[in-house]
Amino acid sequence: MNQRPNGVALVIAWAVLTAAGVALALSVGLFPSPASKEARIIDGAMTLLTVLAVPIFAMVVVLLLYSALRFRQRGEPAEDGPPIRGNLKLELTWVLVTLVLVLVLAWYGTAGLLEIRHHTAEAAEGQLVVQVHSSQWSWEYTYPAYGIRTKEELRLPVGRPVRFEITAADVIHSFWVPAFRTKIDAVPGMTTVVYATPDRVGSFQEDYHFRVQCAELCGLGHGVMVTPVVVVEPSQFEAWAAQQSGRTR
Amino acid sequence: MALIPIIRGLVFAAIGFAVGGGLAALIAGLAAPASAGAGAEPIIALGYLLALVGWLLGVGLWDAWAREWFGLPLKQAEVPGWRRYFRFTTDHKVIGVQYLVTFLVVFLLAGLLSVLLRLELMAPGQTVMGPNEFNSVMGLHGIMMVAVAVAAIIGGFANFVLPLLIGAEDVAFPRVNALSYWVVPPVAVLLLASPLAGGFDTGWTAYPPLSVTNATGQLLFLLAFITFGLSSILGGLNFLATVITLRAPGMTWGRLPIFVWSVFSAAIISLTATQVVALALITVVLDRVVGMSFYNAGQGGAPLLYQHLFWFYSHPAVYIMILPGFGLALEVLTHFSRKPLFAYKWVVGGFLGIVGLSFIVWAHHLFTSGMPDELHIPFMILTELISVPTGLVFLSALGTIWMGRLWLNTPMLFALAFVFNFLIGGITGIFLADVPTDIHLQDTYFVVAHFHYTIMGGEVFAIFAGLYYWFPKITGRMFNEKLGQIHFWWMFAAYNATFLAMFWVGLQGMNRRVADYPAPLAGGNLLVSILSFILALSFLVFIYNVVRSWARGPRAAANPWRARTLEWQTSSPPPLENFHQPPRVLEHPYDYGVPGSVHATAGVAEGHAR
Repeated sequence: MNQRPNGVALVIAWAVLTAAGVALALSVGLFPSPASKEARIIDGAMTLLTVLAVPIFAMVVVLLLYSALRFRQRGEPAEDGPPIRGNLKLELTWVLVTLVLVLVLAWYGTAGLLEIRHHTAEAAEGQLVVQVHSSQWSWEYTYPAYGIRTKEELRLPVGRPVRFEITAADVIHSFWVPAFRTKIDAVPGMTTVVYATPDRVGSFQEDYHFRVQCAELCGLGHGVMVTPVVVVEPSQFEAWAAQQSGRTR
Repeated sequence: MALIPIIRGLVFAAIGFAVGGGLAALIAGLAAPASAGAGAEPIIALGYLLALVGWLLGVGLWDAWAREWFGLPLKQAEVPGWRRYFRFTTDHKVIGVQYLVTFLVVFLLAGLLSVLLRLELMAPGQTVMGPNEFNSVMGLHGIMMVAVAVAAIIGGFANFVLPLLIGAEDVAFPRVNALSYWVVPPVAVLLLASPLAGGFDTGWTAYPPLSVTNATGQLLFLLAFITFGLSSILGGLNFLATVITLRAPGMTWGRLPIFVWSVFSAAIISLTATQVVALALITVVLDRVVGMSFYNAGQGGAPLLYQHLFWFYSHPAVYIMILPGFGLALEVLTHFSRKPLFAYKWVVGGFLGIVGLSFIVWAHHLFTSGMPDELHIPFMILTELISVPTGLVFLSALGTIWMGRLWLNTPMLFALAFVFNFLIGGITGIFLADVPTDIHLQDTYFVVAHFHYTIMGGEVFAIFAGLYYWFPKITGRMFNEKLGQIHFWWMFAAYNATFLAMFWVGLQGMNRRVADYPAPLAGGNLLVSILSFILALSFLVFIYNVVRSWARGPRAAANPWRARTLEWQTSSPPPLENFHQPPRVLEHPYDYGVPGSVHATAGVAEGHAR
């Protein structure tokens, strides 16, 4: 056990594990297929964080496994290890590197948030307003511009920014459409707002991520507080709206 | 005979409940005569308060403590053998065993509840239980495991080992210590009674307005949580005072074993932050019981206020759980690497840094709550900053095993697995600290898998490292090493398989706290369920090993691991006064490999059996 640790083997193992991990993360879709502009920003952040995380994970795992295999004794050790209490250069480097990594993460997180917000501000023109009212245990969607009110489904046109204005009648609920990656709580006594711009057509029947799912525990019916989402071409949406508002009147 | 104090406690509790409940009924009758019998909740709340006092007096507070307030002589009969574990006793080692056994039982019960949850989730639709049962079982699993995570290390190991590690005879306030254990049984009774009163369907977080308007089971839950908080506050106070005042001669702050530092850090949070959650829970009780409106939006209340107060405690609380886990794992790593703890002072600084930061990150639980948008960026950055002090724990762990002489026995394997598991827990935490990704991941199984990686993969693995490491000291007997290794590999493999699969299910849009889910998620959930059953079975090996070894294992030497710290310099188990001679601390606890170095002396020579 007097040989020096093999630094070259460590670096090679780290590089191989990192490459394999990054390749895996990029080839396997981590998230369900996105269906809104916001979803693409969030998925980009997800990929970036994964690519940053893999080398750190790989480094610790390689050091841990290498040490456990290389320095293990058969049974009770007959002697003590070298009395190394620390290494100032290494300690300072470690703190600095983690600090820089945190700043990089903070930078990208902030940029992502600002991008979503900027996109929100742009979306002010031509947007479709949908009022979402939640109660135990159902969702009700009101389209003020069309005079439509429905509990059956959330139907939206593709390509048009939607402003969701969310309220709650009784307890806290949360408005979540997995395919859009939007999520915000519905809180009694206040109106919360979230935006999404659907960018492909789809429906719950084809893809179960097209659904409004309550994401805040709200009692007995929480798990089944779900309505389908349907995204259609604008012309189809207008036709549906005309038919619906006729029925409502 | 052994159970007499407990029976007396129950009788006093019944009397207390009758008096308190009667008083509440009387007040309610006077305040609103027209609606006599307006509700059972005021009766339960006030009745419970006096029942708790009655229970404590009956179980031992009167005999061992309160009599002297009235000029009467104390009655403290020393009971030998196993009977002392059913008594209000002030020996920290007995209290430590009381905590450890109690919370191991709670851990196994809460684990069984998770098996029930996974049975329901094996297939979509309603299978083995209804949604209300599911919510209650889930909430019980949550709060019981939170209690285990908060109390098993601090209440169990810190009680047994911390006074030994610093060379003290006991904790600073031995009777307060007994009090903080004996308020735990009422917590268990309330939680077990809760399903009989309609259960509670809010999960352990108890967000209003739901927690104000639902069944009476919720009130029992709230009272249980507040009572448990009292235990936690008193425990924190006691350990701070103990470390500050009772260190043996020569035990300077720079020579404190790392486990002591970690408990000291956690105790700061335990003493302070817990008071805030008690406040939050009491306001919910007041909303329910006397109709105040802290959280009723229609009457000027603010539901979001609760979430801020709750997480102001409950985020620091995860560091009450994990800091002692860090300390325990590092303690085991250094002894079984036979090398000094790498970067000792940096780790201590890291612990204190975590304590400081833990108080200013709570709102990362509220990124999708409707909290003002401009708060997102500061809380995201502060949360990510915690990885700097936490990174020092990894530096220390890796630096310690590097070039060491590793003894890969059961406690060491669990400590190494702790590093691996917590690495995954820490890295996945970054995805939740980052606001854009958290918007999607919040309230999905990704979050569930993440916190199970930190608390179960982290702290619980550290607890098992500690159980095997200190088993000889606590019981005076050796465990079976082969069974320990089987338990480790089984639990490690099944644990990682279960919760890695759970990350995947979460990414695919499975949201948490639901009994039902879209059919395409069936495959992933079935896989997680089957793996979790395999994980659950691994604990049978552990139970068998503990029971058999405690009863019939070979006698343990004073220091079977040849470790340097003080708890190993006395017999196994230690005598009532802990050390045969007053301990003297001479050098740093972890100076392995330094010729002629001795950490401390306490009268029992190396290898000296009892």
